[in-house]
Amino acid sequence: MIQPLLSTKGVSKCFGGLKAVDGVDFDVFPGEILGILGPNGAGKTVLFNLISGIYQPTAGKVYFHNDRIDGLPPHLVARKGIGRTFQIVRPFATLTVLQNLLVARGITRYGHLSKVWGSWGSQSEIKAAMEVLEKVGLTELAHRKAGLLPLGNLRRLEIARALVVGHTLLLLDESFSGLRHEEILHLEALIQKIRGDGRTVILIEHNMRVAMGLCERIVVLDHGQKIAEGPPSIIQQNEQVIEAYLGRKGITYAA
Amino acid sequence: MSSYVITIGTIIVIQAIAVCGLNVIVGYAGQISLGHAAFFGIGAYSAAILTTKAGFSFWTALPLVIGMSGFIGLLLGLPSIRVREDFLAITTIGINFIVEAVFRYVQFFGGALGIGGIPRIVLFGIKLKGITFFLLCLGFLIVVLFICWWFTRSWASLACYAIREEETAASTMGISPVRFKLLAFVIGTAMAGLGGSLYAHYMQFISAGDFSFPVSVAFLSMLVLGGMGTLWGPVVGTLILGVLPEVFRPLVDYRIFFYTLLLLLMIRFQPGGILGEGSVVRRILAPILKGGRA
Ligand SMILES: Nc1ncnc2c1ncn2[C@@H]1O[C@H](COP(=O)(O)OP(=O)(O)O)[C@@H](O)[C@H]1O
Ligand SMILES: [Mg+2]
Repeated sequence: MIQPLLSTKGVSKCFGGLKAVDGVDFDVFPGEILGILGPNGAGKTVLFNLISGIYQPTAGKVYFHNDRIDGLPPHLVARKGIGRTFQIVRPFATLTVLQNLLVARGITRYGHLSKVWGSWGSQSEIKAAMEVLEKVGLTELAHRKAGLLPLGNLRRLEIARALVVGHTLLLLDESFSGLRHEEILHLEALIQKIRGDGRTVILIEHNMRVAMGLCERIVVLDHGQKIAEGPPSIIQQNEQVIEAYLGRKGITYAA
Repeated sequence: MSSYVITIGTIIVIQAIAVCGLNVIVGYAGQISLGHAAFFGIGAYSAAILTTKAGFSFWTALPLVIGMSGFIGLLLGLPSIRVREDFLAITTIGINFIVEAVFRYVQFFGGALGIGGIPRIVLFGIKLKGITFFLLCLGFLIVVLFICWWFTRSWASLACYAIREEETAASTMGISPVRFKLLAFVIGTAMAGLGGSLYAHYMQFISAGDFSFPVSVAFLSMLVLGGMGTLWGPVVGTLILGVLPEVFRPLVDYRIFFYTLLLLLMIRFQPGGILGEGSVVRRILAPILKGGRA
């Protein structure tokens, strides 16, 4: 049997009385694209925060390469090879787009104090960063201050920062939202390519079509609980999913 | 140059060194500190004690003084930096009051009388005073500015900026917020220590009141006025706030009131300071600078 790259065992997070994530188990296998679906407030982002160490789980465990990573602070989780993007974009606003990527590149400098002190603008670092900017289509904006970019570009910047280091696992939180149609197609192709490089991707997606098209497997959350798991074709026909996802979505739209 | 001008100039240069240190903490790493005078004081007192009681010269004491200030900065920074941002302001104010109280009430530090008889600095067999002492301080300021400039070119400064802008995002990129905040704290407090040492040898007599909370407010006003996070902001801010009270004598009595008011006004209306991006001064100067280059 193939060993999962990442697995959660009964992972939960409470905020006061609210169970934002409630006993979720799931596995991600190397080289796969796993989708996480669910209505607004289902606990998807909180689940990512539990994996990346921003929140500590109230209960349960998270394993990466068979090591427990729950309880580690975010920077140590990152150094194990997990990168992520944020649904609510978090650019380093006063830095340029290129510098934003060089910050993320810093992970290659740890353990070498001299490198931490070394110039941030070394040729090889800039070259690596520019290659990634090229991939996400931000080359022209490399020297623009990140705080001045429109949302679509900030989403690409989020992805670029996650890509610029050779992370084994990428967590993408609604990277497609707010993008135009052709941008979505471009990003889909990019994610396929990332997977082609042997990396593993977990993506939270609201757009059903995108999720169904990209993911081999989908995990559906509702009220913090996993209500379904399986390939897109099965998920699409799952009664509970249709009710939870589509039913509630109708209400949110009406509100 | 008259000795009056040299006196004002020397104090300004010494303060600028401390404010450069504050800039590393507040400007580069985005950690508010309202207790910087404490570290200025720790530098001054360690220099005073080492030279009056332990037989050190300014030069042999200097590495110890700088190391001591940075080390105490590390110790006090460790718990402070883990608290939330708004608590950090209060914690650093607390540090300032505690350090001042230790100077004032512990006999080892001279108690209420302070420490006198601090020797002048000797360089190449010459006792420095007046213009020569001023030049020595200027030399140290240049070294400090050079370190700041060098720091801003290093990756470590990018990490500090990233933490300042978006701590959570930075941490998910492998940057340890605590480590880099502490790094900035240590560099900043060590610079304050250097300034404090020069201050002690210049005044030759120091007492706890020289390092009280209002001095911290003054340092922060100078930094905010000049421009947080810019290389020359600390120098410009210190220069302006050092010269103004001399030109407008009535200001002297209301110095602290004026500094505090200025601090609040700047943060409200011009948070980038004089040299900051998008500042009024920059906008006025931009066409001139561009014209000059063309
Ligand atoms: N830091 C927090 N404190 C309190 N409640 C939170 C916090 N973060 C998320 N929640 C709540 O947890 C639930 C799940 O949120 P989230 O994971 O962001 O949903 P989504 O599935 O849309 O990403 C929501 O009800 C949200 O209000
Ligand atoms: Mg979300």
